[in-house]
Amino acid sequence: MKFKFTLAAVIVAGAATSLTVQAGTLEDVKSKDYLSCGVSTGLAGFSQKDEKGNWSGLDVDVCRGVAAAVLGDASKVKYKPLTAKERFTALQSGEIDILSRNTTWTQTRDTSLGLNFAGTIYYDGTGFLVRKKLGVKSATELDGAAACIQAGTSTELAISDYFRDKKMSFKVVTFDTSDQTRSGFESGRCDFLTSDQSQLYALRIGLKDPAGAIVLPEVISKEPLGPVVRQGDDAWFNIVKWVVNASIEGEFQGVTSANAKTLRASGKPGQKRLLGTEGDLGMKLGLSPDWAYNIMTQVGNYAESFERNVGQGSPLKIKRGINAQWNNGGILYSPAMR
Amino acid sequence: MQTFNPLPDKPAPAQTVGITGWLKNNLFSSPLNSLATIVVAAILIKVLPAMIDWLFISANWSGATQDDCTKDGACWVFVSAWSQQFFYGSYPDEEIWRVNLCLAMLVAIITASLRVKKELREKVFIPLFLLLPFISIAILDGSYLGLVQVDTDYWGGFSLNVLLAAASIIVAFPLGFLWALGRRSHMPLARTISIGFIEFFRGVPVLALFFMGSVMLPLFFPEGTNVDKLLRVWIVLVFFMSGYMAEVYRGGFNAIPAGQYEAADSLGLSYWQKTLLIILPQVIKISMPNILATFVMLFKNTTFLLIIGIFEMLSTTQTALSNSHWLGGHAEEGYLFVALVFWVCCFSMSMMASAIERKLNTDHKN
Repeated sequence: MKFKFTLAAVIVAGAATSLTVQAGTLEDVKSKDYLSCGVSTGLAGFSQKDEKGNWSGLDVDVCRGVAAAVLGDASKVKYKPLTAKERFTALQSGEIDILSRNTTWTQTRDTSLGLNFAGTIYYDGTGFLVRKKLGVKSATELDGAAACIQAGTSTELAISDYFRDKKMSFKVVTFDTSDQTRSGFESGRCDFLTSDQSQLYALRIGLKDPAGAIVLPEVISKEPLGPVVRQGDDAWFNIVKWVVNASIEGEFQGVTSANAKTLRASGKPGQKRLLGTEGDLGMKLGLSPDWAYNIMTQVGNYAESFERNVGQGSPLKIKRGINAQWNNGGILYSPAMR
Repeated sequence: MQTFNPLPDKPAPAQTVGITGWLKNNLFSSPLNSLATIVVAAILIKVLPAMIDWLFISANWSGATQDDCTKDGACWVFVSAWSQQFFYGSYPDEEIWRVNLCLAMLVAIITASLRVKKELREKVFIPLFLLLPFISIAILDGSYLGLVQVDTDYWGGFSLNVLLAAASIIVAFPLGFLWALGRRSHMPLARTISIGFIEFFRGVPVLALFFMGSVMLPLFFPEGTNVDKLLRVWIVLVFFMSGYMAEVYRGGFNAIPAGQYEAADSLGLSYWQKTLLIILPQVIKISMPNILATFVMLFKNTTFLLIIGIFEMLSTTQTALSNSHWLGGHAEEGYLFVALVFWVCCFSMSMMASAIERKLNTDHKN
């Protein structure tokens, strides 16, 4: 009896300590004066290194935004390049403060890894790249076609589900790396290529004749990508969540890096609340009142970040699609900031 | 009086000298050889012009961005634009002298120790050599010396491959000797531990060890203590290499005649005197070719670090290929360049190795 009790106490104590790990990431980040941000080792448009060694991308901008909000300086970030296998360990062990590495938000990950997803910054999904010559306008016309797929990805499952559901047949040609997949497509081994849509655009640029291939509108699986933090530190979780929201709300309210300074003094009430001249949104997060102002001026709103990294201002030229604001045909929606 | 006038030498048969002779001896000595020659020549004639054209003639040599690659051939602009990343990683521009200093020290100590007198080598250069990894870490990190601190996340490129390989082998060198001694020891505990260590690190693939170092090890540390990833990898490499070196030394030990041990014992030398003064010098001399071969293997193994996200040269290449401004398919140029750099280094190491062997080769030949 006594033994059982002690055992239970040990287990409970163990569980408790593992739940309250590193409460106080905010204090941690403030005292070391930089944010440790887990990124990928190189993914076009999301987290990529340039010739000078500088990091940029949509995922990177989340970290820059958090650094701007918490430390007042978007450049106070140290990037930890992580492989897909290491990413969760690095977060759990406290090596990084935030994981922003094109990680799909799934229920299993959210509930079983001791982690929290702090929002979605890009709604991705499996898509199709076809040659223009084929004259296909929609994925429903692909019955009997051959598909180039990278082996070992979740794409394979998504596409066979989709074709079975539509009662169509297809042939699979698998390749080891994305480079090989692309050259397989280019040499005509298959009629279409499937991968996550954001990656299709990157693969398309690598083709000898990018204009000769198009990305079909269909997206057949859910891959919402977003930043991840440790479970059990709600203050930090709130900060990351509202940094993501502030950047989306900034676009909705029409606040940009160019006009934030003027709007701060003479904007509409909603804009002023966001920029910290009215209300106390920053204080409630444990941050300074100009937290969102710093994000807007140093990183920009969601639209600016999107266009600069993956949109029209980048070589990828990805259209907003479902990643547009809710009042603009997309599904981006920030909860009310008041 | 008749004098002896030798007839002039007859020239060698025309078929065995000159170009025809060489051709006949080397390329067409048998029907099979002739067939092989013709096939290889046909392939070369078909492939070489296109290759040379792609590599040199219609290659793009100057520029700074992908848009400068207008011609059909190789885009060497990719390599030149990323060259700093390839060699130094993200190490800050104004601090790169520190990386160069470490590389220069390594080269200087190796070349100098081959030339200086024996006493100087034993008293100064070998201790200096053994301390080099720690001196280099202090210089590269900087915080111990009052320089600007550069985190290991910024170290990278080919200099990281070289320095990591050198730092691993220098520490594994004496450590492996200890394991080898342990394995030959008559003390059961020391012997068991040594055998266990050696067989574990020789029996597990180095990739699995890297994964353990990068993914599993952090979970065992107490919360909040972070041992640097590069440091973990370095430890893994040192253990891996010392296991291999131990077996290399064991071969050396076995080759030494028992008379050497008995002679040392009869002179009244202690265990360590015997080992260090009589046995070790002979073991090293005998094992030299294997030691150098192991080092070349380790040097190439450092490219495995790409799978755990450390920006050594090969993974820097992959990162460069995934940059959205360089998505034009430059994989061929990138990987060719990496292969060339590694080949040049490994080949020069082989040349150096045979020079050292010649220098050390004093007897045992007759």
